[in-house]
Amino acid sequence: MLFYSFFKSLVGKEIVVELKNDMSLHGTLDSVDQYLNMKLLDIAVTDAEKFPHMLAVKNIFIRGSVIRYVHLPAEEVDVQQLQDASRRDAEQAKHSTKTGAAAAAAAGKGQPTKDTRPDQSDKVAAS
Amino acid sequence: MATSEGAGDHVQEATVEEPLDLVRLCLDEKIYVKMRHDRELTGTLFAYDQHLNMILGDVHETITVTEVDSETYEEMYKETKRTIPMLFVRGDGVILISPPTRA
Amino acid sequence: MAAPPRTNPSDFLKELAGRPVVVKLNSGVDYRGLLSCLDGYMNIALEQTEEYVNGQLKKKYGDAFIRGNNVLYISGSRTRK
Repeated sequence: MLFYSFFKSLVGKEIVVELKNDMSLHGTLDSVDQYLNMKLLDIAVTDAEKFPHMLAVKNIFIRGSVIRYVHLPAEEVDVQQLQDASRRDAEQAKHSTKTGAAAAAAAGKGQPTKDTRPDQSDKVAAS
Repeated sequence: MATSEGAGDHVQEATVEEPLDLVRLCLDEKIYVKMRHDRELTGTLFAYDQHLNMILGDVHETITVTEVDSETYEEMYKETKRTIPMLFVRGDGVILISPPTRA
Repeated sequence: MAAPPRTNPSDFLKELAGRPVVVKLNSGVDYRGLLSCLDGYMNIALEQTEEYVNGQLKKKYGDAFIRGNNVLYISGSRTRK
């Protein structure tokens, strides 16, 4: 949830998403979900010669699992807040593992629930 | 359940009871990250979660590619380096994290 | 050291805490060091870690965190360098 919240705070900002297939996409972050799937607007491929088939693509939905890195605008990142959130998150994660699987399930770490996925695809379809 | 929440915050100190504690102790420290596909990073750890997703600042990345000479079959290592001011790293590519070498 | 009569894998791992171990990754790389601790994902914290690639010492780390998904096995090591 930490990084989901973080990326929500970056909506509207320009980022570079580097994929595991070595493609880099520069664009404006339009939306993000709990899986860190991302929608980017008005994209440009950094190495256009290598990926000419992407020239016509303006808006793109990226599955979170194919992302390797996201280059962030450093001035938009509050590093103190991130560190505090990381410590809080670690503490919380510890409690939920100690109380076992039930707590983990309650924290929403289980399988994707029925309504989150369709909701996400709706968003994509709508845009 | 909610008895020791306040206490818990203070207990969270320099103890390493589980592996992720080691990562927590690296917050605001320079770390080395070994990634899959022969990528290595150094940078300051600003955020992480249990998947080892991370945000690193002032990152130096080294990519090592091994090329085999077609005639001599000698292995050649080529290193590509770059720097990135602020980087989100997806945890699934992480192999190893090491804190700055202490004395 | 007589082995305990009946254990399960998690008992085995508990016994390794604080002892020298070899951790082999899927990539074939070996890590030798003192096992600080491990968790249910097989994430591992090692101390005085040595990295061996193709059996050759490549690098040393004071502490090292290894992400569990990369782990092929954890083995007790009687030889302490």
